Amino acid sequence: MITRRTLLKTAAAAAATSVISAPAIGQGTKKITFLTWNIIDQKELIEGWIKRFQSTRPGVEVEWLDKKGPEFAPFYQTQLAAGTPPDVINTQGALGLEYAAQGALLDLSPLFAREAATKARYDANYLGNWMFEGKNYMVPFYITKTLLFYNKPMFAKAGLAGPPKNFDEILAFAQKMTSGEIASGFMTLNFDWLYWPLFAMSGVDLVTPDLKKTAFNTPKAIEVVDKLAKATQSGAINKISWTGRWVEPNGAFGAGNVGMLHAHSPAYFFFKGQGSWVTPETLGVAHMPGNYATPNSHGLGISKGSKNPELAWDFVKFITDNAQAGELATRRKLVTGNVAVDQATLAKLANDDPTVYQVLKTQLEHTDKMTGNWRFGNDTRIKEAFWPELQSALLGRKDAKSALADADRRMSRELTRS
Amino acid sequence: MTAGKGWWGQRRNRQLTLIACFLLPSLAIFFLYRILPLGWNVILSFESWSPLKPAAWVGFEHYVEMWSYDDVFWVSLWNTLIFIAASPLVIAAALGVALLVNSDLRGASVYRTIVFLSYPLMTVAVGIIWRWMYDERGGIINYALRASGLVDGPVGFLQSFDWALPSVIFAGVWQTIGFYMIILLTGLQSIPQNLYEAARIDGAPAYARFFRITLPMLRPSIFLCVVVGILNSFTSFDLVYIMTNGGPGHATELLITHIYKSAFEQTKFDYAAALTVVQFGLLLLLTYAANKAAGGNAGAVEQD
Amino acid sequence: MAARPSRPRLLLRHATLVAVSFVMLLPFYWVMKTAVTNENIYAYPPGIVPRDPHLFNFVDVWYLIPFPRYLLNSIVVSAIAVAGNVVLNAMAGYALTRQFPGRRAVLALFLSCMLIPFQATIIPAYLITAKMGLLNTYFGLAFPMLSTIICIFVFKAAFEAVPRSLIDAARLDGLSEWRIILRVLLPLSKPAIATNVILSFIWSWNNFLWPLLITRDPTMQTLPLGLARFLSYMEDTTGALYAFAVLVLAPSVLVFLMAQKEFIRGLTSGATKG
Repeated sequence: MITRRTLLKTAAAAAATSVISAPAIGQGTKKITFLTWNIIDQKELIEGWIKRFQSTRPGVEVEWLDKKGPEFAPFYQTQLAAGTPPDVINTQGALGLEYAAQGALLDLSPLFAREAATKARYDANYLGNWMFEGKNYMVPFYITKTLLFYNKPMFAKAGLAGPPKNFDEILAFAQKMTSGEIASGFMTLNFDWLYWPLFAMSGVDLVTPDLKKTAFNTPKAIEVVDKLAKATQSGAINKISWTGRWVEPNGAFGAGNVGMLHAHSPAYFFFKGQGSWVTPETLGVAHMPGNYATPNSHGLGISKGSKNPELAWDFVKFITDNAQAGELATRRKLVTGNVAVDQATLAKLANDDPTVYQVLKTQLEHTDKMTGNWRFGNDTRIKEAFWPELQSALLGRKDAKSALADADRRMSRELTRS
Repeated sequence: MTAGKGWWGQRRNRQLTLIACFLLPSLAIFFLYRILPLGWNVILSFESWSPLKPAAWVGFEHYVEMWSYDDVFWVSLWNTLIFIAASPLVIAAALGVALLVNSDLRGASVYRTIVFLSYPLMTVAVGIIWRWMYDERGGIINYALRASGLVDGPVGFLQSFDWALPSVIFAGVWQTIGFYMIILLTGLQSIPQNLYEAARIDGAPAYARFFRITLPMLRPSIFLCVVVGILNSFTSFDLVYIMTNGGPGHATELLITHIYKSAFEQTKFDYAAALTVVQFGLLLLLTYAANKAAGGNAGAVEQD
Repeated sequence: MAARPSRPRLLLRHATLVAVSFVMLLPFYWVMKTAVTNENIYAYPPGIVPRDPHLFNFVDVWYLIPFPRYLLNSIVVSAIAVAGNVVLNAMAGYALTRQFPGRRAVLALFLSCMLIPFQATIIPAYLITAKMGLLNTYFGLAFPMLSTIICIFVFKAAFEAVPRSLIDAARLDGLSEWRIILRVLLPLSKPAIATNVILSFIWSWNNFLWPLLITRDPTMQTLPLGLARFLSYMEDTTGALYAFAVLVLAPSVLVFLMAQKEFIRGLTSGATKG
């Protein structure tokens, strides 16, 4: 395995050369733009793909742009307003659905109807995450969902054998491993809906199946929130769970004094880089109780405003076919949603890197139990109506009952407005 | 046109033309990048629109929504006012520093440099720095508080509903105090020294010189500082965005972060436009009040 | 200014300023410390002095970015912005010191223009710039920054502080309007010029959202943008994140330190002549 530093240096060298050799725009060329979401570390790979794609299609030019998460939306929205949207876009989480609801994305269903083989290439459950009102808007680029990481030495010290089997066990285990400020028992990522398995395993759902009404303002939900808040108060659940974003919780788990971390698979590479304690012997990998998990995948879609939608579709198929997806999977050690590629990747990793194998294996199991992936066309607004209230309750600012009542009121309003 | 010297021949007309020419380039830039966009926002605030949706007139719907249903609007309005209300204290502190370094104190220029040093920094980076300063484990503030026994456990400054806003404000003060100081220094240096000499000959004591000469002569600079303080309520966008992103809950949500999130994260450009109009009106009101308080002539020095 | 202050008062002044300086410098120290170490940042207590300091984090950051290219872009854009600001703001500032019909309206207009946040103007500003064909150009990057209202008011305040008698005398001597500006007002307003240069430099140098939107070509990106884009690498190695922060900050701090001699001289010469 190459080290990070050499990787960075090659990337930098590639960056330097590409600046010099900017391709000239010829007459009669067909140009498409590929906008990615924070994957600049794979510069070499993506530029290689583009070169290959262009070499077999004379007169075609692909421009590649990459934006970090917070900058992605203002950039894309501005381009939409100006009528020059990038042809192929890569988004994370449910953002693709919002763009689809806005009318920014091309409906891929007719293309799938035409090319059944292409559709069969992708994992059906992950593909389903980007279904909006019965139509496909995105295909998987690389996929993730949440799982439970745990610190085996801390489990052993607390006399715990294996991962928890239900919600109450999570809290009880967490309590056992907590000692004042030094160690806390449980932590979760909170962005998007990543914490939702905690509610799903307790039988709480956010909305009715038709997505028309709220379903969370129940005694059971109040009880769950109440328990979570109390555990947070006592320190069993690390407060960072509700305040941190990405660096803080994963860094804290990497530091080795948090018993369990509920996070999606990329978190592994982050805390592994931070924590020297992480070895195949010490790191436990499991599903959350009930096998619930919230996906947070990267998808590829085509802008409706594309001048060359056929070419864009061609490009999407190109980068998700076995050769290209395979390269991405190997280099980044991830699963892509391309079924054949992922099977091959796992088979290879089983020998090469058992821990990564275990982590990635969870991503392909129980994909029917994905939760927190409601197909809202206004997901951000719903989140904005719900999360701050929940956060207030979890951090002890409001009691669970009134927080959920407020969230109910605000979210109901959003649901009726859409 | 009058006969004889002609229109151009008249000194007054020539001067007016000169003034117009001097103002034109700046006015053109502001027209393109401020006034047109404001007009766009005003119109949009009465419409239903997003980049791919044709605009439709909805009257006051967004304003009604804001007034009656949007709790976040009220929270962010309140926070914005707190943000602005902090600026007089900062200006007073900056004036103190400016007076101290304006004297012939040895090393004054070193102090001056140090105080200004934080202003040239990129706000994004300032946010990153201060997030780190406030960190529960790695941050020096918590370390200092705990080492000195002032607190028992770590204080999650940016995670606390009570502390988050003051903490962000303090980071903002750290960044901008040098700027206030420079404006005030420029003002102080522009006060003709002979005024002080005359006062000293008349035997006026130091405090009288301060209140009779320094403060009145500084009025334009102080007014400018107040305006900058009002502007900080939205130029601090990056700071809030990086440090807390408006959280926890909406404890640090400002109108500007609410506007930005509504527009770009929730795709409610039309609603964000209504918020923009309200924020603009509010700040205009405050600036007008400050202007009145500063003597009514947009901070001009009283003519002698 | 006043008669020589007594010794205890002098000490008090120094003590106050030292305390202020300490607060102002502490964050710089803390970031530098973190940037040169690879200690576990989640360990408590943090080290006050760096353990095993090294510069690898800086090397990492340096190699990631086509630094010279971004530097060049930033310099060009900032130079355009500074030139525009000094000339246009002085002109507008002067105009505002004169009496003319509609003066109050223009003043009110300027003041109110200042109150419109950039974040709310992104889409129309982009469309306007696109219409003018300035996307992806140096001029387009600098254009909205060419005149800043605060700096106009800095000039206006400086011009107004010039004693009326001086201007009247010059006018009696038969000096034209132009000459009064060039020979009388501007030389007496060096602090305002210096303030304009430094502030417009800082603002355009640190501008982030605007270059993000209107540059597409990687070779047109400015330094903050280029650096921020690579922040994604840095998230996993905290020392490097702070090294990155230091590298973003260094150019603007350096320019300020280099320019500040002129800046201060401008300040003091303005005072002695007044």
